[in-house]
Amino acid sequence: MKRIAARSIYTLIVLLLSSIAVFYAIRLSGGDAVSARLPASASFEEREEFRELLGLNDPVHEQYFRYMGRLLTFDLGKSLTNNADIFDMLTHHGKNSLILGAAAFGLVFAIGVPLGILAAVRRNSWADGSVMTFSVAGMAVPNFWLALLTVWLFASTLGWLPSAGCCSFKQLILPAVVLAMEGIALTVRMTRSAMLENLGQDFVRTLRAGGLSETSIIGKHVLRNAMVPIISLAGLRIGQIVGYALVVETIFGWPGLGQVLVNAVLRRDYPVAQFFSLVLIAIVVLSNWAADVGYTVANPRLRKA
Amino acid sequence: MSSVQAATNGSTKAPVLSVRNLHTAVATPEGSFDVVRDVSFDINPNEVLCLVGESGCGKTITALSIMRLLPTPPVRITSGEVVFDGTDLTELPERRVRDVRSERISMIFQDPLTSLDPVFTVGQVMTEVIRTHRDATKAEAREMSVEILRAVGLPAPTERFDSYPHELSGGMRQRVMIATALVLDPEILIADEPTTALDVTVQAQILERLRSEQQDRHMSMLLITHDLAVVASIADRVAVMYAGEIVEEGPVDELFSNPRHPYTQGLLRALPHVSRKRRELVPIPGLVPPMQMMPPGCRFAPRCPHALEQCWSDHPPHEVEAGVGFRCFNPQPF
Ligand SMILES: Nc1ncnc2c1ncn2[C@@H]1O[C@H](COP(=O)(O)OP(=O)(O)O)[C@@H](O)[C@H]1O
Ligand code: SF4
Ligand SMILES: [Mg+2]
Repeated sequence: MKRIAARSIYTLIVLLLSSIAVFYAIRLSGGDAVSARLPASASFEEREEFRELLGLNDPVHEQYFRYMGRLLTFDLGKSLTNNADIFDMLTHHGKNSLILGAAAFGLVFAIGVPLGILAAVRRNSWADGSVMTFSVAGMAVPNFWLALLTVWLFASTLGWLPSAGCCSFKQLILPAVVLAMEGIALTVRMTRSAMLENLGQDFVRTLRAGGLSETSIIGKHVLRNAMVPIISLAGLRIGQIVGYALVVETIFGWPGLGQVLVNAVLRRDYPVAQFFSLVLIAIVVLSNWAADVGYTVANPRLRKA
Repeated sequence: MSSVQAATNGSTKAPVLSVRNLHTAVATPEGSFDVVRDVSFDINPNEVLCLVGESGCGKTITALSIMRLLPTPPVRITSGEVVFDGTDLTELPERRVRDVRSERISMIFQDPLTSLDPVFTVGQVMTEVIRTHRDATKAEAREMSVEILRAVGLPAPTERFDSYPHELSGGMRQRVMIATALVLDPEILIADEPTTALDVTVQAQILERLRSEQQDRHMSMLLITHDLAVVASIADRVAVMYAGEIVEEGPVDELFSNPRHPYTQGLLRALPHVSRKRRELVPIPGLVPPMQMMPPGCRFAPRCPHALEQCWSDHPPHEVEAGVGFRCFNPQPF
């Protein structure tokens, strides 16, 4: 419990510092936002008026506190490009991202863990060899390249799946698989090596001496032990998915948070960019926190400490 | 040989377990080597047989061969029999061996720190062992477990039932392992250096507990140790192992007072000189030859003060004298 409390405090500090960092980073390019929004013919007075309107002339820390206050009341302002309410954008695009992210996250474990178990149990067989080759490939191929490759194969050539769009099940498959690929590859390796390491432990011999079946020993005892490091790194997988979502959502035209952020940055829509950066950072930081809680819960040795 | 041994032991009861000409080999890139060579012994009802020998001489591999728990590959039984209740365990399919494990022959291991599953509670594992072999409800299994945990001297057994191994001391973990091994009331307990990893004060308590459980349950025990003081205090019979072979075997009193084999004699002579804290067997000059360079005749010949010409080429046969079996061409008076 102490460990979880300490991690929670640490997480709050990281959240605070990163929100300040994002705020300043966006401010440093604040002038661009103004010139991007106003026509080149706008007068100095018009520009100043616009800056005043956005509160850009106040000291940065004042702007920060004001912004945080508004965050807490869900008053996030509007997009500079299409006047959409930012909170509405969050719920709408957030839902899309959640669907895609959850699908990818699920695939990471639903595919990665069983393949890793298979490779460990049949180690040095052709099955192990193929799984490990797949894993190496999955880690080596950059996901934008994988995205283009799968679109070419499954959409353009075979015509089995749509190449882009939202939000049918068929449209979900390609972006989810691409988003999950590196996580699957890593999870396969980790599962395999954790299974093999635990299979060699003394406690396995004790369980065999107890007359337990191999199914129980491998499928329950060794697996549970092997899951400790995998669960502990589940949060990192979320972080990875969030990071890759920027690229994958853009390529597949999936209107999620990543796509919104990329578009906002390209159009210098700084209230949107600022808010969605904060959201994505919060997700990554909180998922690391969740990972740590998960690790503590998965590992009885840490629970009491 | 079993008839000879039975007669010389003065025991008329059939042994509960007979190991017959067991060979267990390890496969290496340089070839296959017998780490257990032509080992035969009986475990009689109600008796404690101690298997002693220097580290690496094949004690654990012998025990794992009986339990069919060898790390195969690279280690496997190449010939011989392990006869238990009329069947040769080496021939049984894995499925049937599992029925024997824990229910009829149990084994406990050297290192209680690593030998218990860290992510399950004591009770979860004990319950699973019981319910693998018996039709018991969870409540019944819990009752059986708590009772045996109490019997082996674990304090607060009801609470400990729900403890994880890391919450217990080394001595407590060894008691948990003993309790799990005894909960199904097996006929034989194999204990592989059960106290080596424990504090000196705890060692005596654990041995005492093993001895009393063995007597109360009319169980037989194969106790593996490298501590001759343990042997003297607990054994009915002793088998001395050297480089994968049993070189001498017999009742503890006769073997200790009148050893025939030069290796046993060396061990016993060295006993008073070694430190009192850890009486390990490192008494005789020279080293055990590596597996690849094992002499074809007597494996002890390179270190033996009494070696004859013949010892280097021929394998000494098994002989029996006053109830003690030994393998030596040139036995010496002690
Ligand atoms: N898993 C293994 N792989 C290869 N060789 C082994 C293995 N386990 C034991 N051996 C070898 O078998 C021999 C006997 O080992 P062991 O039975 O553990 O000795 P003891 O228990 O008497 O200390 C040693 O020479 C050891 O190197
Ligand atoms: S057989 Fe020969 S070498 Fe071996 S112990 Fe006896 S005397 Fe020594
Ligand atoms: Mg050993």
